[in-house]
Amino acid sequence: MDAWQYLLVLACCVLITLPLEFVLRARVYRRWRTLLAAVLPVAAAFALWDAVAIARGHWWYSPRYTTGALLPGALPVEEVAFFLVVPLCGLLTYEAVGTALGRLRRGDADA
Amino acid sequence: MPEYTIATGLACLGVVLAELLWARTGLFRTAQYWASLAIVFGFQVLVDGWLTKLADPIVFYAPERILGVRFPLDIPVEDFGFGFVLVTAVLIRWERAKKRQTS
Repeated sequence: MDAWQYLLVLACCVLITLPLEFVLRARVYRRWRTLLAAVLPVAAAFALWDAVAIARGHWWYSPRYTTGALLPGALPVEEVAFFLVVPLCGLLTYEAVGTALGRLRRGDADA
Repeated sequence: MPEYTIATGLACLGVVLAELLWARTGLFRTAQYWASLAIVFGFQVLVDGWLTKLADPIVFYAPERILGVRFPLDIPVEDFGFGFVLVTAVLIRWERAKKRQTS
């Protein structure tokens, strides 16, 4: 199981933020086209940054806690997953906070 | 100055300038953004702290490529700039797309 540890951490992030879609009406997954359009170019830019950083020896990954599956640029699949999962969690947080602030401003905390 | 430090600094500057001079979504003037950023940073400490813990790291950093300031936990401070740029860039694109759809 060790090899899956990095991916499991990311899976936890997805699971923990999933309720925000419904409970605080984030509606991020529902707007999946907008979601993809917002995230994919940024994820691509970060994948490039990551590949350059790996090539220049800024950082490297534990062979024990990663699957070892590499994409072009010696990029672990976990890193690409990171660049998709973190923005997703960020958007869910942002929209959930928007809903919460809206309720506070209207004074209907029970709604 | 170490390379990761420079890269992060430039990326932070880039995303702030992109918002102020080009995208102009008004994101930086909203409580929604700053509250979200605070929450995201809170969770970043947990997740990134786990990834970078020196006792048993998932991600290793070359000491000569970072400032060497690792706080809180063992997180290289540069990672907070990295996270700020990643999340802020996506939120700017998200807000732009939303505005385009409603206008």
